Amino acid sequence: MTRSRLTLITAGICLFVGLGLSGCSPAAPPITPAESARLTPADDRLASLYETSCKTCHAIAGSGAPLAGDGAAWKPRLAQGMPTLVDHTVQGFKAMPAGGQCARCSPDDYRALISFMSGTEKR
Amino acid sequence: MVTRRKALTLSAAALGGSALAGGGAVVIANRDKPEPPAPASVNADGRMLWRNWSGIQNAYPAARLAPADEATLADGLKRASAPIRAVGAGHSFTALAATNATLVSLDGLSGLVRWEGDEAVVRAGTRLGALGPLLAQRGRAMANLPDINKQSLAGAISTGTHGAGQGLQALHGDVTALTLITAEGERIECDAVRRPDLFQAARVSLGSLGILTEARLRTTANRHVRRRVWVESLEESLAQAEDRWKAHRNFEFYVVPFTDLAANISHDETDDPVQAPPAGNDDALLEALKGLRNSLGWSTGLRKAVARTLLGSVPPETAVDEGWKLLSTERPVRFNEMEYHLPPETHLGALREVLAVIETHRRDVFFPIEVRRTAGDDAWLSPFQGGARGSIAVHAWYKDEYQFFFELIEPIFQRHGGRPHWGKLHSLNGQRLQALYPNWKDFLAIRRELDPKGRLLSPYMTGLFDLA
Repeated sequence: MTRSRLTLITAGICLFVGLGLSGCSPAAPPITPAESARLTPADDRLASLYETSCKTCHAIAGSGAPLAGDGAAWKPRLAQGMPTLVDHTVQGFKAMPAGGQCARCSPDDYRALISFMSGTEKR
Repeated sequence: MVTRRKALTLSAAALGGSALAGGGAVVIANRDKPEPPAPASVNADGRMLWRNWSGIQNAYPAARLAPADEATLADGLKRASAPIRAVGAGHSFTALAATNATLVSLDGLSGLVRWEGDEAVVRAGTRLGALGPLLAQRGRAMANLPDINKQSLAGAISTGTHGAGQGLQALHGDVTALTLITAEGERIECDAVRRPDLFQAARVSLGSLGILTEARLRTTANRHVRRRVWVESLEESLAQAEDRWKAHRNFEFYVVPFTDLAANISHDETDDPVQAPPAGNDDALLEALKGLRNSLGWSTGLRKAVARTLLGSVPPETAVDEGWKLLSTERPVRFNEMEYHLPPETHLGALREVLAVIETHRRDVFFPIEVRRTAGDDAWLSPFQGGARGSIAVHAWYKDEYQFFFELIEPIFQRHGGRPHWGKLHSLNGQRLQALYPNWKDFLAIRRELDPKGRLLSPYMTGLFDLA
């Protein structure tokens, strides 16, 4: 079901468990979705991969994905190490769909895209 | 610090724990589960894993093609090892895209080609989420959209993907011309005049005739729509559904199992200004419903009573925006799904049976059941061929067991004359499908003509068509 369609039900359950309506809202990220949406990789090919696949979730609030450019959200993920992140990307993990729904991406592409979104790419 | 979402889940669990201590009942085996085991990212031959969105289909393609133009695609197909399968976003729950030989990504074939009047010629790999803004630049829009927009246009039309609205056809209903490249590299254009039989076959063709490269789409004015969401008793929703399908541009409802409630959603055109939807978190909602299942799943009566008390008085929600911004939204929680399309006269009766079976036998289910109506069309393998159909979609969280789709739910759908959504889980093939589609043999004849060597037939496709 969609986010807004189910807001009413969420609100009811939040009230039920005593959190209040604010208790079910996600924490505000340090970068807004609009700011995140303006980011794009400098490399044309990488930008194409990013625009088609990653950006459809990683620049959308409420998608469950850490926003591109949100260093705080990416920090604990980066702590797992790049090989683990690439494995999670290829295999899918929690809300992350396998391969990031990018059938033309290679492992090197995934490394570059993760570096871009987490703000750790070599500049 | 405990996160808010964790607190929500813990609170629900704590409630269930208290009730359990008081009642001395047995908790059903529905606690949170670990991530399902994942196939290796790279197999012994060094091939990278391909896996579908929900994670239940996988393959290790020996080669991946990602052409940026038709000539490159045609050249690549001539030399590709079989079976060749095309993939967009990989959102199908069935193994339509899986192959261990050649996987063709359509992502490089994306974007608007040109306008022909108010019809847009679009590259077939364009994701639906990107199509909305492309068409809106000219003040146009697709008449309808599915409730997620991650899929490619080719994938959506090839599987008969649909939205909600009794007067609106599935996406392929707005396709007025198609271009495809056969497995032998031949480029073919078809429409209602040029090769009309092929056009009727190709509009819903499961990637089995060739690789779609372009589609010409009928569009409509990019109007604002008003979305209303409201919760009421399930009985009221069932009683009003037929009238609401007639009254609203788009109408659907979600039955929330173990609540006796339904969430209703309508969309109607309006000239009103943009009204943003209330902030919310779908993930948190489903976590909460799961928490209630985990806590109170041992007592259907108590689970229903608590849910009705909490959800029954929630006020309606309204939003206004351009249709393409409201008709499709985010689905942050992965799941598996079976959806059948039934004759309207059996639609709601079948829904009652499905709900009764779930509430009797599957207390682990917490995902809402989606109920829609779609106008008929004449594409040969369209589930909506011959007249309007009513859809019922049953979901299971991606960590949960879903075999009950086949054992308990599918027999109900079949008994009521249902046709399966091609991209969602079902067990039909061969003669059983032939019995549902009057042009089944015509389709297979065209398939043989375009792909005589069967290079587009994966093991799954061979089984589906019963061509072994």
